[in-house]
Amino acid sequence: MGAQDLNLLSLMSLLIFLIPVFYINRRLKLTINKTMITSIIRMCVQLGFVGIYLKYLFKFNSPVLNTIYLLIMISIACQSIIRSSNLKVKLFFIPVFFSLLIPFSIILIFFNGVVVRIDNLFEAKYMIPIGGMLLGNCLRSIIICLNSFYSGIQKDEKVYLYSISIFNNRIQALKPYFTQSFLAAITPIIASMATIGLVSLPGMMTGQILGGSMPTVAIKYQIAIMLSIFYTEYFSTMLSILFSLKVGFNDLDVLNKNIFISKA
Amino acid sequence: MIKFESVYLKRSGKEIFSGLDFFVQKNEKVLIQGKSGIGKTTLFKILLGFETIDKGRVSLNDLDIVKEHIKDIRHQIFYLSQDIDLKDGRVGVLIDEILEHNLLKKQDKTHFINLLNFLDLSNKLLDQTVKELSGGERQRIGLLICFLLDRPVWLLDEPTSALDDTMKKKIVGYILNQEKTIVLISHDNVWKKNNVVKIERWL
Repeated sequence: MGAQDLNLLSLMSLLIFLIPVFYINRRLKLTINKTMITSIIRMCVQLGFVGIYLKYLFKFNSPVLNTIYLLIMISIACQSIIRSSNLKVKLFFIPVFFSLLIPFSIILIFFNGVVVRIDNLFEAKYMIPIGGMLLGNCLRSIIICLNSFYSGIQKDEKVYLYSISIFNNRIQALKPYFTQSFLAAITPIIASMATIGLVSLPGMMTGQILGGSMPTVAIKYQIAIMLSIFYTEYFSTMLSILFSLKVGFNDLDVLNKNIFISKA
Repeated sequence: MIKFESVYLKRSGKEIFSGLDFFVQKNEKVLIQGKSGIGKTTLFKILLGFETIDKGRVSLNDLDIVKEHIKDIRHQIFYLSQDIDLKDGRVGVLIDEILEHNLLKKQDKTHFINLLNFLDLSNKLLDQTVKELSGGERQRIGLLICFLLDRPVWLLDEPTSALDDTMKKKIVGYILNQEKTIVLISHDNVWKKNNVVKIERWL
């Protein structure tokens, strides 16, 4: 039993509500109409493509193909993270890639093998959507962390360097910046675990219920996925700082100025 | 002890040093004077490895400022920056943390208390945060840390600018009596009234 298919026309009917939105935007001079339209079009096109190739991915269900697909997803996530953090992709790609890949693969394999206990660890039906959820959530936390860490030290450079001179210990000098940005990055997921079910019903659960699962099954999956998201975020965020220190700082522990995208 | 040999440095198109030679012997006290923007503070930053020179050679105790030696070098230098850029937090906690990381136990309590009294700092100040300190208090806390760490080379950037005259005299006397290698940047004339300090005028 699956969810009832949506008629394309009735799906499009949701666009009707854009009319009042456009009207209000114009009256309030909120100049976001253009960005809004671009975003909506991008969403439709991207999801349309995903729908098409997921269909084939599920049909072939080849471990190699699935893995390649996930690696591509990680690469795209990686680029988007670095760009949103105002850092240079060329310098940060490798450290961020591995800080995503390592926790992601461990948690994903554990999820499939130990939690769900599927025989084929690379089963497309599990690997792709779960992988996507883990990645999508990590994106936000790594961006917050990298951004606040490097721009924090840049803004506070005098104090950072003074700490280096007094403590003569890089870890000690970096600690306040690390603590602050790491906490800012993982607090949202911790908060959302505390309020889940009270305030919001998560999208995945809604999807599963619509797809015909029993609510009790959907809830068990939701708990498993929330924990997995939390662990992946926790470790990948921490690793993203750890792995990127080598490009972020020079041999003498001074922040490299050329890591930021110049705001010209 | 400190050697700058034909040092060249350019920052954002501006020549800061072109062929600078500058030497300081062990336990010498040198006062650098010159108008602002001439690179006095940059000199300190180069020694600490915070600025990298374009050409020339800089060394401390014959150790070049490179990755392999930087820990050793920083371990020998106490730097008092002009704004005493201590990170925020409770002063007492910060001092404990600094001593702990420099592997100095709060040696004898009497030495610590004597220094507090000498600098006219009250015990209550240790419970305040760095941000709450006045300019003068900050400067004296910086000097307190300097005296506690007891490193062999002191680089002091305007160490007495926020102090009153009596305190200035007291501190200048104390500092110049130390068996330390000291390089100073200061506009205070009080540093000149003695025959210990060698004056370097940069034009």
